[in-house]
Amino acid sequence: MAENQKPRIGVFLCHCGTNIAGSLSIDDVMEYAKSLPDVVVADQYQYMCSTPGQNKIIDAIKEHDLNGIVVAACSPRLHEPTFRTATAEGGLNKFRFEMANIRDQNSWVHMHDWEGSTEKAKDQVRIAVAKARLLEDLQPKSVPVEHAALVVGAGVGGMQAALDLANAGIKTYLVEKDPTIGGRMSQLDKTFPTLDCSQCILTPKMVDAGRHPNIILKTYTEVENVEGYIGNFEITLRKKARGTYDGAEMKAAGIEGSGCNGCGDCAEVCPVIKPNPFEMGMAPRKAIYIYHPQVMPLQYTIDFESCVKCGLCKEICGPEKNAINLDMADELEKVKVGCVILATGYDLIPIEDKTEWGYKRYENVITGLEFERLICASGPTGGHLIRPSDGVTPMKVGFVLCAGSRDNTGGVAKPYCSRFCCMYSLKHAHQVMEKIPGCQPYIFYMDIRSFGKMYEEFYYRIQNEGCKFIRGRVSSIREDPVTKNVSVLTEDTLLGRPVTVECDMVVLAAAIQPKPDAERIRQMFGISKSQDGWYLEAHPKLNPCGTTTAGIFLAGVCQGPKDIPDTVAQAEGAASAASIPIHQGEVQLEPYFAQCVEELCAGCGMCVPQCPYSALSLIEKDGRQVMTVTEAKCKGCGTCGGFCPGGAIRMQHFTSPQIVAQIDAFLLGGRGGEQ
Amino acid sequence: MAKKFEHSYAFFLGCIAPNRYPGCEASAIRTSEKVGIELLPLKGASCCPAPGAFGSIDLNVWYAMAARNLCLAEEMNKDIALICNGCYKSIWEVNHKLKHNDELRDGVNEVLSEIDMEFKGSVDVWHLAELYYDEKICGVKKLADSVIRPLTGTKVAVHYGCHLMKPGKERHFGDTENPMWMEELVGALGAEPVQYRNKMQCCGAGGGVRGYDILHSLDITNEKMINLREAGADALTEVCPFCQLQFDRGQIEIQQNFGQVYNLPVLHFNELLGLAQGMTPQELALDLHAIDCKPFLEKII
Repeated sequence: MAENQKPRIGVFLCHCGTNIAGSLSIDDVMEYAKSLPDVVVADQYQYMCSTPGQNKIIDAIKEHDLNGIVVAACSPRLHEPTFRTATAEGGLNKFRFEMANIRDQNSWVHMHDWEGSTEKAKDQVRIAVAKARLLEDLQPKSVPVEHAALVVGAGVGGMQAALDLANAGIKTYLVEKDPTIGGRMSQLDKTFPTLDCSQCILTPKMVDAGRHPNIILKTYTEVENVEGYIGNFEITLRKKARGTYDGAEMKAAGIEGSGCNGCGDCAEVCPVIKPNPFEMGMAPRKAIYIYHPQVMPLQYTIDFESCVKCGLCKEICGPEKNAINLDMADELEKVKVGCVILATGYDLIPIEDKTEWGYKRYENVITGLEFERLICASGPTGGHLIRPSDGVTPMKVGFVLCAGSRDNTGGVAKPYCSRFCCMYSLKHAHQVMEKIPGCQPYIFYMDIRSFGKMYEEFYYRIQNEGCKFIRGRVSSIREDPVTKNVSVLTEDTLLGRPVTVECDMVVLAAAIQPKPDAERIRQMFGISKSQDGWYLEAHPKLNPCGTTTAGIFLAGVCQGPKDIPDTVAQAEGAASAASIPIHQGEVQLEPYFAQCVEELCAGCGMCVPQCPYSALSLIEKDGRQVMTVTEAKCKGCGTCGGFCPGGAIRMQHFTSPQIVAQIDAFLLGGRGGEQ
Repeated sequence: MAKKFEHSYAFFLGCIAPNRYPGCEASAIRTSEKVGIELLPLKGASCCPAPGAFGSIDLNVWYAMAARNLCLAEEMNKDIALICNGCYKSIWEVNHKLKHNDELRDGVNEVLSEIDMEFKGSVDVWHLAELYYDEKICGVKKLADSVIRPLTGTKVAVHYGCHLMKPGKERHFGDTENPMWMEELVGALGAEPVQYRNKMQCCGAGGGVRGYDILHSLDITNEKMINLREAGADALTEVCPFCQLQFDRGQIEIQQNFGQVYNLPVLHFNELLGLAQGMTPQELALDLHAIDCKPFLEKII
């Protein structure tokens, strides 16, 4: 489009059914639009996003030789791409399009003010036209995409995402901060509603992830720093000092020996005993340890905070294996990837802070995860469920649901549903009845949320097996100091009276929350979080795997509570989404990046530290300093443009003349832009 | 004149202590002196008024009457000290509410203006037991130092009482689900504090339950008595004369209605402290208790 061409604007108004047309006069706004400077055509349609609606734009461009399009409709977040495509199909540069949001920002909020919202819509259209008159052709930039991906967190979600990417032929770094992959799922005994042994169905995946030629497994490793942008992330990993070598590492480093083969001789002689976090602290481990027998990789780890460096392990490991190095230090490594998937998982809330339930004060009040370990054949009791206080087999077990979830009382309480507690508590009830003949489970619930495939059927099954259900929020749990029995005080809202049930032990289905380091990871990758601290998806319905930062995707509970099937499904979605730019090999960037007008730039450099994305730098040009923009890093936020004392920074698509025209159009009723 | 006491308070008596258990009143005045606390009479004080009885019928009356008592203390320029959980609920809470709610305060002051009084919010309200535990006022060590006849060899159970600890959000005692500070106070007297089942359960009397449905109320008390017996307590101590009445006279009523006999002596903490500081059972009017305190006294005297 020639620069000196006179603007010819088309305005299109959308009824959005009655969403818009039910609250304001489309006809009035259309007639008004026709009166605006440079508007050569104004039209309306019931659904502008439909094919006939888009065709109106395409046809009008040709018929009226338009060079600017305004659609007054819904939110650009929903349909800007749609109308940009129509604009381009009509033969215009797609950035010759401007949207006025007369739905979300007008008809929806002024639903019962016909006059007022009609007048406001006129204002909005006038403002949009003022900008459209000054729009320019812009060309999107392409950047190449590294043919590799990074997955943070190797629980079931992270492993699934990594396997999918790897199977799609993408080199994938799978980073896990713990010494083994497997995550929470490997701590579970069985899974609902099929009652598969959790570890049995997980281990093959762990093995696949460990052996896949396209997966580079980085256990006991954390993300240290993130730089770059979609297609070109440069990520620094901290490989924590593990204290042992595997065979390949030794070979690469030229150290004599065959490396750790997981024989465990070292742990046998280690004199230091610590609680094993994998067993929720209910079983001991040594200072040199593995979490459980199925770890991947099978390689011992030294907890250097506890290690006394006596050297017994090194001695017994012997010179042939030579796997132990007590002076090992952390190592940093940089990897380049095109896309990232975050799968950092969850923790239980500190349910002890809800003091009325007595967790950590009463020995026989435990959490669901502790129950998993106590009922698990590979757990600290060999699968024999016992009360922690005296080792006696419990004959009455209470399960308290919504322990901190769906609770608006503040403090440790969480307003959201933790989504899998109902189902695992049903499973727990089944397990106690199956393993301990005559044992009576009681489920204290507010609602049972068994919404998945075969879940409701599982609920019926547990009812039929004889579990007792008491509806009402538990007010307090009290211990008999002599017998250590725990009484659950609640209201039975179906009977309408208070109830006290004395149990041998109580299992709290504690609410879940993001991991403590989730916030650090979030900030490094520059993504948003929701109110509760879970990572925020780009759109809850239409883009549940993506984030608002291009190239970063989410899988599993880090985005919000999920059970295993949902986690795996989202992981597959995230892997699919991440593989698209990688397979395309290049991504287009919106051309909103800042531009330096070099004639005006004084080279003061004050903009450089303002940039939140480190996209600006000073360079030497024609014997003087000028600012330059790394276009792929720039997000077009405008911070530099607003700051520049010389007015030398130009924000494309949001230029000062465009914004001033919009302000004038609003304040001066459009007259300011007429000269 | 040299100041005799480090701390002095307007002493709010309440109704049950002076009328049913004069030992509570006598011991409070004398035990506090031993740790440097002076209790001055709050002249012209009315009923607190009882939180359950008045509060559930007309809150405005409750606010205004409690505020009147606060105004009397404000005139003395003294914080209030009291020895009853019901009084604590009324006077502490109304003070707290009026200090934080201007609208409420204006309304109450409009009523008070008819008797030429105005609530200013210039004093605080304390339970005497709270002052005993407070390091800045007395503290466990100073309390222990005042003991001349340690209650060694006795097992004493503690009842906190609901109105002292709840609602937890508006109180300032820390953990209101499993508090242990009264146990520390009992320990300071040389007795062994014992834990028992459902320690934080209501005595059965509060909130108008005793007045409305005596059998239900005694049922709750009876359950606590069973738990106390199982824990092997020699005596129960509390900081609320109404709880005391329910546990003490309630045992007679339980005997009459349910036929169960416990004979567990029930002493206000101040009475217990009085004994440890050397007051005689007569001075403490322990003979006015419904349940004979002798078995407990024989263990210590």
